[in-house]
Amino acid sequence: MSKRTSRREFVKHSAAAAAGIFVVPHIVPSSVLGMGTGMAPSDRVVMGAIGTGSQGMSNMRDFLELGKAVQFVAVCDVDAVNLKRAKDTVDAANKNTDCRTYGDFREFLEKEKLDAVSIALPDHWHGIIYTEAVNKKLHVYGEKPICRTIKDGQTIVAAVKKNNVIWQTGSWQRSLPNFHRGAELAINGRAGKISYIEVGLPDGGRGIGTPPVKEIPPELNWEMWLGPAPKVPYRGVSHWNWRWILDYSGGQLTDWAGHHIDIANWGAGLEHTGPVEISGTGVYPPEGIYNAPVEYDFTCKYANGIEMRVANASRLKLGMGTTWHGDKGWIHTDRGNRLSASDPKILEEVIGDNEVHLYKSDHHWQNFIDCIHSGNQAIAPVDVAYRAVSVALLGEIAMTTGETIRWDPDKQEIIGNPRASRLLSRPYCQPWTLPTI
Amino acid sequence: MKKQYLSLFLAVLLITLFSSCRKDTIKTLLITGQSENSGQASSEIIRQILDETGMFSLTVIAAPGEGENMSGFKPAFPKYELIVLNYGGGAWPEEINAALTGYVNNGGGVVVCNPKSDPLSGVPDNMTKSERHDFEIRTVVTDHPVTAGLPSRWFHPGDEITHGIDASGEDVQILATALSDTAFRGSGRREPVLVARNYGNGRIFTTLLGSPDDPDNAAMHCAGFIVTLQRGAEWAATGAVTQEVPFDFPTAAGTVLRPDIKATDYETAFANIGSYDIPKSTRYFTWLQSQIRKAAGDEVALLKLEKGMVNILEDGKATVEAKKLILRELSWMGTDYSLPAIKALEGVAELKDDVRFAEERLQISN
Repeated sequence: MSKRTSRREFVKHSAAAAAGIFVVPHIVPSSVLGMGTGMAPSDRVVMGAIGTGSQGMSNMRDFLELGKAVQFVAVCDVDAVNLKRAKDTVDAANKNTDCRTYGDFREFLEKEKLDAVSIALPDHWHGIIYTEAVNKKLHVYGEKPICRTIKDGQTIVAAVKKNNVIWQTGSWQRSLPNFHRGAELAINGRAGKISYIEVGLPDGGRGIGTPPVKEIPPELNWEMWLGPAPKVPYRGVSHWNWRWILDYSGGQLTDWAGHHIDIANWGAGLEHTGPVEISGTGVYPPEGIYNAPVEYDFTCKYANGIEMRVANASRLKLGMGTTWHGDKGWIHTDRGNRLSASDPKILEEVIGDNEVHLYKSDHHWQNFIDCIHSGNQAIAPVDVAYRAVSVALLGEIAMTTGETIRWDPDKQEIIGNPRASRLLSRPYCQPWTLPTI
Repeated sequence: MKKQYLSLFLAVLLITLFSSCRKDTIKTLLITGQSENSGQASSEIIRQILDETGMFSLTVIAAPGEGENMSGFKPAFPKYELIVLNYGGGAWPEEINAALTGYVNNGGGVVVCNPKSDPLSGVPDNMTKSERHDFEIRTVVTDHPVTAGLPSRWFHPGDEITHGIDASGEDVQILATALSDTAFRGSGRREPVLVARNYGNGRIFTTLLGSPDDPDNAAMHCAGFIVTLQRGAEWAATGAVTQEVPFDFPTAAGTVLRPDIKATDYETAFANIGSYDIPKSTRYFTWLQSQIRKAAGDEVALLKLEKGMVNILEDGKATVEAKKLILRELSWMGTDYSLPAIKALEGVAELKDDVRFAEERLQISN
């Protein structure tokens, strides 16, 4: 334990150093880490997981595939069944029965001495738990979208900055070659000067009507699941399907903002700013407990003249993914290793030495571990994730109010619209409050 | 005889007076078949659907049934701005068809409801239907007046999908399609369900939805069928659509029925929001949210809605769940007008969190 703690302290020192990997030559280069070569236990990143549902377990498996580079020692979930499954997975990997379990993240953060934590929770919990984890000086792999409100996001970004930890957002598309190549072609003007971007995200799905109040499953701590969200009786919706309810999520729009909007920003040089004007419409289910928009279509104008249209895929000619339009053509990229352009020659272009070379990562989870060792910024840092989801959250506000929203991306304030400004944050249900930085 | 003329004169006078009360109603002739009961039932629903808009003044006539003498059937098409065909009988004499074609050529509008033969090619008997089932419709043309602003995907209940429509004619636009699933004896292809055609100086709108069915007749009570018929009728008559897409148009989330055909109005909505409880329908609350979005920037319209919301907060008979919904909405859109009503609820234990939520948010700008 003491060795692990000292390793953790060491990591923090190297994180503070500007070029950790070069001044500490005995650290194994990142590319070797995933190959299962003999690694000193002291170089392992000791991790825990908060939120062990489907996405949390998926992330945990991706980390466990890195072999000896990481070791999970503790897991936390409000669902006892999920928690048991997570412990079993960790114990199997560690070939012991030592994985510690928690039902309350506060106790988890208080008792565990970790290097890093992997967090995958419903969005309404992100503001509190991301901030608390970072305030404990833990490096965080956090699922997108990183926040449910702009205020939550601002708090998380400030906490990461103040505590100087490594943050990796679950925007793993950045670590795939087609997205990297598409963004690099776009930012180097291979489609010409970018003036318009289209981002296609999934359509919403079928609703379930208005179910009655149901008995809370014995394994689920419903009050803790709700946490800062408004207190409501259990109606059969918790894991996974929370994403269709606006108290917990913004629907497909915010869920996928951290993917294709993030990629759009990356290739257009918009990752550190935001739009100045946002307007559009949503299609809301006329009734039912699922109230997130099933369709959405809004346009963001940027100070540099770029316009970005974000819509559900059925409304767009090229469907899902990101399309950068410039004065010489377009470049489109999507999942399934898709990369296409108005002229196939664009895709053969070589990026010169003096041009922009975007950050390259071949493995999203490995990149996080590498950066913990090197102290370098990860490929999907927190401020960039905040800017990506901000586009969706501002779009949501424009759709909710029916108004054209004017936004100051520097001050991060809505201009001249008190009603819309109220939607930048949400009061938390007592006793929860957003932590201070 | 004289008496008969007098009563006819009075009737015409009354109709004229009634019509003049309504501004610029579209003179409409609804021609029904008389071969089957469902034809009459469906015509009554179509009449209600068109009446609901307040835009059409309807005359309903029944065409002779199959095998009956057609010689007396000579509708005066040019007297009307819109002809709605809900006819399931045999072919009409050539001269009537020619008169109808001439009418459209000269700028008339025609709506064809759920035809038994191909309304575009005029070739009969090459159409088949799928089994009745719920299916998803895709709006494939979004810049046509009839379909502008509709969801791109929406569900439609308990209807048949028609196969064999020939949409190759000049100026024919397929506005919406549905995949006819082979699991329901479908064609396995995407089939047209809403079709628009510019013909000469006139327009033809065809809906292949709304096959009548006893007893629930869900296909004809679908808000999507109702609204597309209303919009299609206005477009066929005028070339434009002024009706707004209502909040209850179906979406990818599921089907929406209007048991009484009617659109939701302010009074009905607020009366129902006040009695909301789990697990009742939330549709009147989503109506309210849609009205707030629609009223954006119009403080008079917003205040009217806010007053309705405050009335619910002050209504001793309104449910706790209704007040919770209202407090959440007021938390962002409320003005000083709401504050006393919100404060007055501070002592209500069941609303403690919701009142605090609203007060915390409203103070941001107060």
